[in-house]
Amino acid sequence: MFDFDATLPLMAVQFLLLTAVMNVVFYKPLMKAIEDRSEYIRANEAEARERLAKAEALAQQYQKELAETRKQYQATIAAAQADAQKLSAQKIAEAQQEAQAQREQAQQELDQQKQEAMQALEQQVESLSRQILDKLLAGVSL
Amino acid sequence: MLSFLATPTLPLASLEVGHHFYWQIGGLKVHGQVFIVSWIVIGILLIASLLATRNIQRIPSGMQNLMEYALEFVREIAKNQLGEKEYRPWLPFIGTLFLFIFVSNWSGALVPWKLIKLPEGELAAPTNDINTTVALALLVSLAYFYAGFSKKGLGYFGKYIQPTPVLLPIAILEDFTKPLSLSFRLFGNILADELVVAVLVLLVPLFVPLPVMLLGLFTSAIQALVFATLAGAYIHEALEGHGEEHGEH
Repeated sequence: MFDFDATLPLMAVQFLLLTAVMNVVFYKPLMKAIEDRSEYIRANEAEARERLAKAEALAQQYQKELAETRKQYQATIAAAQADAQKLSAQKIAEAQQEAQAQREQAQQELDQQKQEAMQALEQQVESLSRQILDKLLAGVSL
Repeated sequence: MLSFLATPTLPLASLEVGHHFYWQIGGLKVHGQVFIVSWIVIGILLIASLLATRNIQRIPSGMQNLMEYALEFVREIAKNQLGEKEYRPWLPFIGTLFLFIFVSNWSGALVPWKLIKLPEGELAAPTNDINTTVALALLVSLAYFYAGFSKKGLGYFGKYIQPTPVLLPIAILEDFTKPLSLSFRLFGNILADELVVAVLVLLVPLFVPLPVMLLGLFTSAIQALVFATLAGAYIHEALEGHGEEHGEH
């Protein structure tokens, strides 16, 4: 069972040869394959991450632009509404002023005519009362 | 049965411990059956590697996937023991230790070698021969000495007297117990597993040995893992050693 002989050194040499050959046909190529693969995965991952970051930045930019545009159109609408309001208020005021002026003018004319009529009436009253007085006095002076 | 057990030359379910299929190479005797199976194991590893790396794809499939899993597994072992920075140059050694021992053990447990007749001895896992396990354990010793010397030069010897010179004998003893325990643990586990299975097969054939065989598969895998992990731990110890304490002094 424990008989040592030339098997021992030959086996050692054979094993070293096996190690050397396996290093060439097994460890080196497969380690290279594994490292290449992990390198490839790492590179792909980095690229994908970069793309994701870019996409996120773009999305953010779009969002910002969208918000800006929305603000702009809201401002435009508000401005237009204010303009319209102002215009309508102005028109209403003008119309009211005009109506006022016309009414005043009419009033004035009316007053004038009334005054004229009163004056004429007064003159008539004067002459009539004189006539009455004359008639009365004519009787007295007898 | 009793008489059978009592016989000094008991064949243990025709398992022949200590019988080897000797080859003569220039006056040297080697265990042929160990080499035959180890060549088959090496062949399996090389063919699997070549199939896996023949057409490397970014998205692995089939053989490449399997071998990449194996590579990731041994890389984890090496990385856990040696750390992220140091493990790469030692990965082939530790990884090949694991793969070779693992495939050897499982070949012994799964392949019915008995069907192939040899003139003497029998085919079995290479790791159930003490020569193989001692060879691997000595290689681990050489590896961690090499690691220590290449990292710290002669300062590596400082670790023997580092905390206190009183421990010098124990520190030296450690260099002997490490390969000894490594080799005997592997050898004992694998041989014992094969013996238990063989004895059970002899006593109660068919289904009873199956759980033990499953346990054997488990043990075989664990032993490969333990061997590779300890090799990594020893190399790491030699690389780091008392380096931090040097810094403090």
